[in-house]
Amino acid sequence: MYVFQCEDSIDGILTGIYDAWASRYGHKNIQLSSDQSGTLTLFSEYIPVKTDFEKSRKVARTLTERLGAHFYETICSSAMANGNCRALAMDKANAIYQTVVMALTLPAGAKVLDYLGEPCIACIFELRRQTLNEAHHLLEFLRFAELKTGILFSQIHAKNYVLPILAEHFTDRLPLENFIIYDATRRIAAAHPSGKGYFITDAASFPMELTEDLSSDETRLKNLWLAFFETIAIEARKNPKLQIQNIPKRFWADTVELKNKD
Amino acid sequence: MKNSANITLIPDPILQKSSPATHLSPTIMEKLTILADAAKYDVACTSSGVDRRGDGMGIGNTKSCGICHSFSADGRCVSLLKILLTNECIFNCSYCQNNCENDIPRATFTPEEICALTIEFYRRNYIEGLFLSSGIIKSPNYTMDLIYQVVCRLRSFYRFQGYIHVKAIPGADPLLIEKAGFLADRMSVNLELPTHRALKELAPCKSRRTILRPMRQIQNSIAQNKNELMLYRNAPRFTPAGQSTQMIIGATPENDYQIMSVAEGLYQNFDLKRVFYSAFVNVSQNPNLPVLSGGPPLLREHRLYQADWLLRYYHFTVDELLSEDRPNFNVYLDPKCDWALRHLEIFPIEIQTADYRTLLRVPGIGAKSAKRIVAARRGSTLDFCDLKKIGVVLKRALYFITCSGHMMYPTKLDEDYICRNLLSDKTQIPKELREEGYRQLSLFDDVSFGGGKHVCISM
Repeated sequence: MYVFQCEDSIDGILTGIYDAWASRYGHKNIQLSSDQSGTLTLFSEYIPVKTDFEKSRKVARTLTERLGAHFYETICSSAMANGNCRALAMDKANAIYQTVVMALTLPAGAKVLDYLGEPCIACIFELRRQTLNEAHHLLEFLRFAELKTGILFSQIHAKNYVLPILAEHFTDRLPLENFIIYDATRRIAAAHPSGKGYFITDAASFPMELTEDLSSDETRLKNLWLAFFETIAIEARKNPKLQIQNIPKRFWADTVELKNKD
Repeated sequence: MKNSANITLIPDPILQKSSPATHLSPTIMEKLTILADAAKYDVACTSSGVDRRGDGMGIGNTKSCGICHSFSADGRCVSLLKILLTNECIFNCSYCQNNCENDIPRATFTPEEICALTIEFYRRNYIEGLFLSSGIIKSPNYTMDLIYQVVCRLRSFYRFQGYIHVKAIPGADPLLIEKAGFLADRMSVNLELPTHRALKELAPCKSRRTILRPMRQIQNSIAQNKNELMLYRNAPRFTPAGQSTQMIIGATPENDYQIMSVAEGLYQNFDLKRVFYSAFVNVSQNPNLPVLSGGPPLLREHRLYQADWLLRYYHFTVDELLSEDRPNFNVYLDPKCDWALRHLEIFPIEIQTADYRTLLRVPGIGAKSAKRIVAARRGSTLDFCDLKKIGVVLKRALYFITCSGHMMYPTKLDEDYICRNLLSDKTQIPKELREEGYRQLSLFDDVSFGGGKHVCISM
């Protein structure tokens, strides 16, 4: 068995697919791995993959052309999920590789994504759901605060790599605003200048102290929102369990209205 | 901020550009508290049903799955800035706390105040848009005109493209309603009480006729607009997210069969997108109204929503679920389980071969998992383990299905046996019945985010 060890990123995995395909060892003898833990199996040859944007771009183009944009988008959103699908004991990169092999070899093509009885497809399905669910939650619960400079700033703690999905959404929604979404888990940020597209940048040395300098109106609007939020609940229907079920606790710290609740 | 007066003097081009004319009066906090409190019993707080990208020139877009931005202490979603324009009212409906005989603090927003609040909340991603209802101030026409002014200002001055839900005021000029409808995403007229008699008793100023007239008008305008859109793709759209209504449950003695029949009639004859059910909360302490000792009838409301789902997505009819002899829902079992137990002759169903509509009838299989099953079985034979991954709730479904001819466990196809087993799992019994005293239940026992349709109480 040949195991191609690639980086845990979209480009890393796509490069892995390129190298695995080009190696001509035969699909049955190949596995991909994005596992960083370093556990190795006996009798396998490990081949490190160096992430190469040119190779990844080629694979992306082939997948889009031959299997369609939806297939490629599905592969990407599952690659954006954090870690491997433990419930299925399958490596993320390997599940993606096996899915791509299936789609390119079977007559069903991109429709293999519906075959949830196949382990690799079930894995992709689960990973994709993981990414999209968190992305949807953050579209709901992310909050902007207006800084003195007029920039809207938001901090999130995301488990999966959802920043591009969020940035895309808010670029369409707030085209004239200058905004920054900072992912504190990965220490990266999406920045959107008014009237332009967004870009994602490394933010390891992000000047957090600047984000405490809020605009003059910010506190007043926060208080108005808090008052609205408290008022809108119906006392006779109080149900903390349902509330937690709908807005899981890990999101509370980054909101305005539930920040200081327990 | 220590001295906000000084800071606002500093010229700040970005701030001024993004929030034009934000002059909120000092009493805005009081107004917001009064008018949000007055609006909270309206349950239709959804932002779903229309997909619209921003045009790049203003602010906002909409997603058809709807986005809830928070969940209040009662667990209900907060999606829109849900407020009344005013809680002044010339009517005296006894179920409503704003009725003109009540001695409560009154307030009225100006259109600009509502616009400024909406935009500032929206920029911060607090809300998905505006839900604007109102008491009747001076006259229905006067009120509807104020509502129109708000929507018009938001759409044209602020170029706001987010979600707007407004009420059509019964009795207002059809022209005003039509003008507002071309700017709003959804319009609603509340039916409030399911029968003519109940309405007469509790809301003497309203009548079935005045409520149904604007409802019919909106329906006709939507139909007419569809034809225009076929001819001219860029014709303005009339309430693209359709219209909805709400009924109050438990204030009057109607049974579930009557209520569901009214709902079915509304879906069929008025093309409504949603009918909402609101468990009655006695706010006005009026002697004509019932005192509900166990709090609002939340379990009943829950069962009505479940049945409503069956009507809209599962091809059920009211007559299949209820009848004159059995006019109320089973409190222990959800309507679909209850139906399945009375129709054991069609079960067990074979997963590999059953068609989509038959799969939909199985308890524990939802619309989404039924679709996935139909697609997935083309690729390989499905077993119970696969069904679980697909999202089927096996603890309910296992009594009614076979995979390749086998049941999951050896079970009897017997009504009492299945019923006993379903209820032996304590989590399947509504908490209210389990713990007797007053506790609430979650509205959906199967909350899953399948990526698409958003499950929240008032979608």
